[in-house]
Amino acid sequence: MLSIKNLQVSVEEKPILKGLNLEVKPGEIHAIMGPNGSGKSTLAHVLSGREGYSVDAGSAHYKGLNLLEMAPEIRAREGMFLAFQYPIEIPGVNNTSFLKKALNEIRKHRGEEELDAIDFLSLIKKQMKLVEMKEELLKRPVNQGFSGGEKKRNEILQMAVLNPTLAILDETDSGLDIDALRIVAGGVNKLRSADNSFVVITHYQRLLDYIIPDFVHVLSDGQIIKSGTKDLALELEERGYDWLIEEAESKD
Amino acid sequence: MAHTTNNFSEWVNLQLDSDSSFAVSEAVRSPSLSKLAGGVFPTRKDEEWRYTPLGDLLDSSPGRDTTVVLDHEYIESLKQAMPSAHTIVFLNGEYSQKYSDSPTALEDSGLNISPLGQLEGTALKLAEDTILNSTLTDDNIFQHIALGLSQNGLFIEVNKNIEGQTPIHVIYISTAHGVTAFTSPVNVIRVSSNSHLKVVEQYASLGEAAVITVPASYVQLEDGAGLDYYKIGIENARTNHICNTSVRVAGSGTFRSHQYLLGSNLTRSNLEVSFTGPGAEAILRGVYLGDENQHLDVRTYLDHAHPHCSSDQHFRGILNGHSRGVFNGLVLVQEHAQKTDAQQSNKNLLLSRDARVDTKPQLEIFADDVKCAHGATVGELDSDALFYLQSRGIDKKDATLMLTRAFAAEVTQEIDIDSLQTYVQDKISASLDEIVIPSV
Repeated sequence: MLSIKNLQVSVEEKPILKGLNLEVKPGEIHAIMGPNGSGKSTLAHVLSGREGYSVDAGSAHYKGLNLLEMAPEIRAREGMFLAFQYPIEIPGVNNTSFLKKALNEIRKHRGEEELDAIDFLSLIKKQMKLVEMKEELLKRPVNQGFSGGEKKRNEILQMAVLNPTLAILDETDSGLDIDALRIVAGGVNKLRSADNSFVVITHYQRLLDYIIPDFVHVLSDGQIIKSGTKDLALELEERGYDWLIEEAESKD
Repeated sequence: MAHTTNNFSEWVNLQLDSDSSFAVSEAVRSPSLSKLAGGVFPTRKDEEWRYTPLGDLLDSSPGRDTTVVLDHEYIESLKQAMPSAHTIVFLNGEYSQKYSDSPTALEDSGLNISPLGQLEGTALKLAEDTILNSTLTDDNIFQHIALGLSQNGLFIEVNKNIEGQTPIHVIYISTAHGVTAFTSPVNVIRVSSNSHLKVVEQYASLGEAAVITVPASYVQLEDGAGLDYYKIGIENARTNHICNTSVRVAGSGTFRSHQYLLGSNLTRSNLEVSFTGPGAEAILRGVYLGDENQHLDVRTYLDHAHPHCSSDQHFRGILNGHSRGVFNGLVLVQEHAQKTDAQQSNKNLLLSRDARVDTKPQLEIFADDVKCAHGATVGELDSDALFYLQSRGIDKKDATLMLTRAFAAEVTQEIDIDSLQTYVQDKISASLDEIVIPSV
């Protein structure tokens, strides 16, 4: 599904990712944890194709395709999805027509027929129940005037509608209260399948109480310094990151 | 102003002696005629015209196109904007009975609509008083061109206490084959106390030759009256359009204006609003969309001469290619105009490196208890928003289109006539489809 080898990325000549390796197989959920500034969001952005990052070495392949050479929209059409840490407000662009356009672009790419307004509405209404989102938010411009929790639910709604094979959740839990967190996680869990994979990037362990990962990786200073199961997340919750970082440094 | 001879002023001088019929009487015309006889046209050295070149216009020598051929479908496509309105068509400056709805449709409606040239008696007096009352200054040469040379125009009068009247759709079509076409319609709109009316003025041009359009419109709203006044400019790229609009709003009156400048080679729109009583309101909206070498110049002047009045202006520009936009808005709050609320915003989106905009919102406040704000921005598309759309599978060209349309929609969504909103948004989308090229 996703294969990242020795990925080295810099921003304005400052190295951020310093040789990152990650293998994600179909059906797996990987959590990437780490302290602030460890490179978590950079990883999410590079994988989704945001400008402003320079890949200095290494590779990233998705379903065998060279991800780093693909335009962001092609990555999306091939089934990748990034849930933004800070979803963007887009005044004047209606939430429903935006999502319909996005879905139909993806369907066209897959050689499927485009959905008409009626079929699309019935799909979106079904998926909205998943994230317990108010219907009026569909009529509003994308994310405009949404609360923090509504924005994150809107991300999960988009994910549910676009039905990606690989979803990257960039700190989706940040700024969420416990109820919103439960709803967002519930949405993710309902979308889990043997074919879909998730990369869940988070600073805190608490999201992983609701989304149970198969693997937990600790990112520090641009490298994965430790991988384990969900127990590793619990240990991090208890002991923090410092002991791991020290351990990693003493190995060098 | 420098006195220079040019083709256009020579042509204007020839017209002064013409014996054709004119829209207004000699008494109203003559001051304008003497101004025109002086032949003084502004140049870029005049502060008011610094950004707006008149070269193309002044080089031209209009003639008369006698080969007018309009097909039915063309007229219908223009009518689409307002299918259920009462339509009045002016063709090359003349009232077209053939394409206009019959005036009998408005009998007993409380609405008096007539070509200006056909007015007589008290109605003519009323129309000319409205013109003479205008705020347009004496050095406004294009007002004098309109008044001095206009062959026709439209007079609309609404009696007292008339609500929910059929909107009026006035279409001005210029056709130019072989020679430059010239028209200068003069329009007078009067809305009596506690009445409300919607008027849409639409300007279109056809043909391979150049077109000059110099309208002057005079609007007067009595106490508590309301007017929604839309101007839609979709003329071809050989058209130079210079218009002046003077609006006087009495106490508790509401003037709502929308201008969509979506065509032409050069447009300069000057809109002056003056409050003549307390508690009046003006809401001014507009979008100008330019490509290639188009030049679009929007000027507004708001005279807060009375207390408790409010004005709210929101203009947006989208400029591509080598096009140029100008926004110049002046709000004057006079000394005794306490409790004035005046807001003014101008936002511009530049889609190419060679596009340019000059924006100058100005506030002159002489009262001390007022709420006034103004702001202007010039920018490019939000790269975060572009990426967000791309990350959902929408390619860069479509994402650019969506965001640019959305930028205009922030204004067009306030058009409260559904067919007109769709028409304007479709026009904007169609233009953007042609001009937006992905900068990948």
